[in-house]
Amino acid sequence: MLTKKIIDLIEANALQLSKEIKRELLLHQSTRSYQKIDEKILHDWIYDVCSRFSYWLDEDREKGEVQQHYKNLGRERLLQGFELPEVISALYLTKRRLWAFIAASREADSALNLNQIVEASFLLVRFFDHAVLHVSEGYEESLRSKYGYEAPLSNPERLSEAIAAKQKLEQPIYEEPKLPSLCFTKGMIRFG
Amino acid sequence: MLVRLIEMIENNAASMAKELKGKLLSDPSTSSYQTLVDQTLYQNIFEIYSRLGHWLLRDSEKGEVRTHYSSIGRQRFEEGFPLHEIIQALVATKRHIWDTVLEKGIMRTTRELDSAVDFITYLNRFFDMAIYYTTLGYYRELQLQQAS
Repeated sequence: MLTKKIIDLIEANALQLSKEIKRELLLHQSTRSYQKIDEKILHDWIYDVCSRFSYWLDEDREKGEVQQHYKNLGRERLLQGFELPEVISALYLTKRRLWAFIAASREADSALNLNQIVEASFLLVRFFDHAVLHVSEGYEESLRSKYGYEAPLSNPERLSEAIAAKQKLEQPIYEEPKLPSLCFTKGMIRFG
Repeated sequence: MLVRLIEMIENNAASMAKELKGKLLSDPSTSSYQTLVDQTLYQNIFEIYSRLGHWLLRDSEKGEVRTHYSSIGRQRFEEGFPLHEIIQALVATKRHIWDTVLEKGIMRTTRELDSAVDFITYLNRFFDMAIYYTTLGYYRELQLQQAS
């Protein structure tokens, strides 16, 4: 795999990267609730992602295991009192730091080529897209079970009603009048 | 070269918006989008693709992204959309750009690959912000509703 070297680099530097990401989460105003978390626990959360990156990036796991992991994370974060935008921002700050690390690796190691950088960034982006999506799903599930909130269009009946209403709205209000068809019968004009 | 990539997307905005609209309407994971008027959905996508240069390069402080996407989040909440479907649609919008870049095969030389790295950086920064502010707008509206 082209990108193995980059993934290995992330894992080899996981400890340092986790420290830097932790610092960023604690200082950034979009992730203020993370200040309430014990620093050791926060460090472990981040380290878990960084140190097992190659494990997480396996496509099969992304479909099943990653989905389940991040759905659970979304549910947990609601119960822990985090706001969803904060959780998403924390994931993006983590991604941004990892991306900066990948981009900087190229300058430090000339053996890394641009194809590897582009491929690694593609994997990184795909992984965090999945993570953000499933965290939101899990968070919404918890909103439903804890506060009884469910987005109206999650309900199949209401969704069908809304689609039908839209289709009605899209029907042309004014229909072109049909011209009477003209028939000729023995020299007379007859409207059909 | 970065500008060339952006212009390529802007020049293909109409056909790309049409393709993505079709995908969103047929994908069960974004079924709420079937409730939007077709022209509105098309226009929303076209607005991103046709002004990609503005979103990626000129709105450097991301002030317009904040205002625009917070408002989209609030509006979609009012319309009853589940948040994860909105996120899914934004991710699909981003992926469609990347797929088009790959399809056009303009990443062969070192210079082109270098620009691709910059492009990925700008593209992701914009969509991360768009998803974050959409979530924020949606979430604040939800909090208001729960409080009342």
